[in-house]
Amino acid sequence: MIGEDFAPVKPDAAVVLEMSHISKSFGPITALVDVSIKLRQGEVLALVGDNGAGKSTLIKIVSGFHQPDAGTITVKGKPTRFASPREARAQGIETVYQDLALIGELSVYHNMFLGREYHKRVLGLSLLDNSKMRALAQTHLDTLGIAIPNVNATVDRLSGGQRQCIAVARSIYSSPSILVLDEPLAALGVRESAHVIGLIQNLRRHRQVSVVLIVHNYNQIFEVCDRINFLHAGEIVFDAETSQTSEEELIRIVRSGLGRGAVAGAAAGVGSGPR
Amino acid sequence: MSIAKPGSRIAGREIHDARETITERLLVLLSRYREASIAVVAILLVIYFQIGSHGGFLSPQFMSVVLRDTGRLGLIAVAQVMLMITGEIDLSVSGTFSIAPYMMVLMSIAWGAPLWLGATVGIAIGVFVGLINGVVTVRLRVPSLITTVGTLFLLQGIVVSIYNSQPIIAPVEEPFNAIFGESLADPASSALTWRALTAFTPFAWTVIVVAVLGVVLNRTSFGLHTIATGSNLIGAREIGIRTDLIKIYNFMIAGGCAALAGVINTAQFTSADPQAGSPFLTLQAIAAAVIGGTSLIGGSGTVVGALIGAFVVATLNNGLVMVGAQATVSDIYLGIAIVASMILSVQVDRLRTRRRK
Repeated sequence: MIGEDFAPVKPDAAVVLEMSHISKSFGPITALVDVSIKLRQGEVLALVGDNGAGKSTLIKIVSGFHQPDAGTITVKGKPTRFASPREARAQGIETVYQDLALIGELSVYHNMFLGREYHKRVLGLSLLDNSKMRALAQTHLDTLGIAIPNVNATVDRLSGGQRQCIAVARSIYSSPSILVLDEPLAALGVRESAHVIGLIQNLRRHRQVSVVLIVHNYNQIFEVCDRINFLHAGEIVFDAETSQTSEEELIRIVRSGLGRGAVAGAAAGVGSGPR
Repeated sequence: MSIAKPGSRIAGREIHDARETITERLLVLLSRYREASIAVVAILLVIYFQIGSHGGFLSPQFMSVVLRDTGRLGLIAVAQVMLMITGEIDLSVSGTFSIAPYMMVLMSIAWGAPLWLGATVGIAIGVFVGLINGVVTVRLRVPSLITTVGTLFLLQGIVVSIYNSQPIIAPVEEPFNAIFGESLADPASSALTWRALTAFTPFAWTVIVVAVLGVVLNRTSFGLHTIATGSNLIGAREIGIRTDLIKIYNFMIAGGCAALAGVINTAQFTSADPQAGSPFLTLQAIAAAVIGGTSLIGGSGTVVGALIGAFVVATLNNGLVMVGAQATVSDIYLGIAIVASMILSVQVDRLRTRRRK
């Protein structure tokens, strides 16, 4: 799968998500300053940066978990403001958080449908349709080639890799238009990484879903992403298509602190970037 | 777990590990069938007291006492279970237990309001207290332990200052009293008359509430979201669950159930006593929930387990007296039972978190 060529995102592809001049502070701590990103239809956008650069804050604003202090969010041309993750999900934005947001005490299939459960009427009561959810979860995981021995098992009995796969599977179940993945490869072994990369590549091949991806590994960026945004100290300092740049160049640029609005200290923390 | 015993050799370690897996398996079984394991304890206690009392324990007269206490404790405990699953706790339930029936009886005496109306108002007060507890805890971020201790004193203060701390005789109204129950089975009547059966209606009320809450917890989205809230608060929020609302609703359920328990208690004894809901009642209810297998860190719990837990507490309280022990001795056993079940609960929780790694 590595080195596979993908049809490039058409230059005239519609912008599905635009965040303009987003700022966010938590008390005295400034997380984001005037950040703007654009995500086009079918594009896989890598968000790169050191720990504390503001990547997670930015994607938590996309997902509705945080609300920006300033700036606008436009989804498919419509200005939007998400008061909660529930609203973002309703608009077709799915997020896989770094902590995966899985509920350890609940079964795999309950986790898959959490927040959008199926119900059946029993004696006028709206009760969970567990057998339907169980069957649908199993089918969905089978389709994705994710092997989970038992969808009835509670999530806390699964391995880290299995959990990561379930979180990704849940996020694409509802065919979202925008998918946000916060370090989906961080805790994975080589084989599991390859599996998740395969899932992303599959989305990319069909160009139906637009993806924002936080990654640390520069190899993986060039393997799966169309474009790179480098975030430093709350600002986007570098923005380029992967086809127009290279791993070496990225490292060089990042180290030398080049790029739009580069901050003097940009190079300082970069060493920890590629792991 | 990684602390090696001094002098332990590799061979010895292997044996140690093998034994540990057996213990682990036992704990896994226990965590899966919490209700069953506490039911076994309950049955053993009944057998012990039945023998110890020469057959008196299972008589209708004595069972009506045990089941009355089980019902009262169980009703408070099961509502507490839902709340404890979300990771919160309500220590004010005994205050609600006192104030709800007091309002009911005052309305009846002062304005001639029928008891059913007063009972409805009383339960509404309980739900409102839950709402206050929930909003202060969730929105103003006061730990529920503190919030509810505050409301406990507040409610207790209100109820004792209304009527100079005097119990009020409640008017008897049929069918109200029959529906909510007699205080004791009449030894003269046979077990199957209506009057004798009404001695068990308080327990029947609790069974109904347990059934309803059991369905709510295990078969509805609300129950699923309750477990999610307690198991992984941030994760539940990230996935779009309104954890604040879930907590507030569960505080309201806890308040409503405590008020219902108070109303039933007053209907049984035809008296509203401001001292009826001592804080000890709350603690016994929490003990019942914990003995029944509810985790104190949130995320898991069973309502059926809490009912059986309440039965165990009521059986210990009454059974020990029946076999001739001092009333105070039962507290010793209760204390041991609480600590023992807590040790079990903590071990099972620890096992679960270790398994996550």
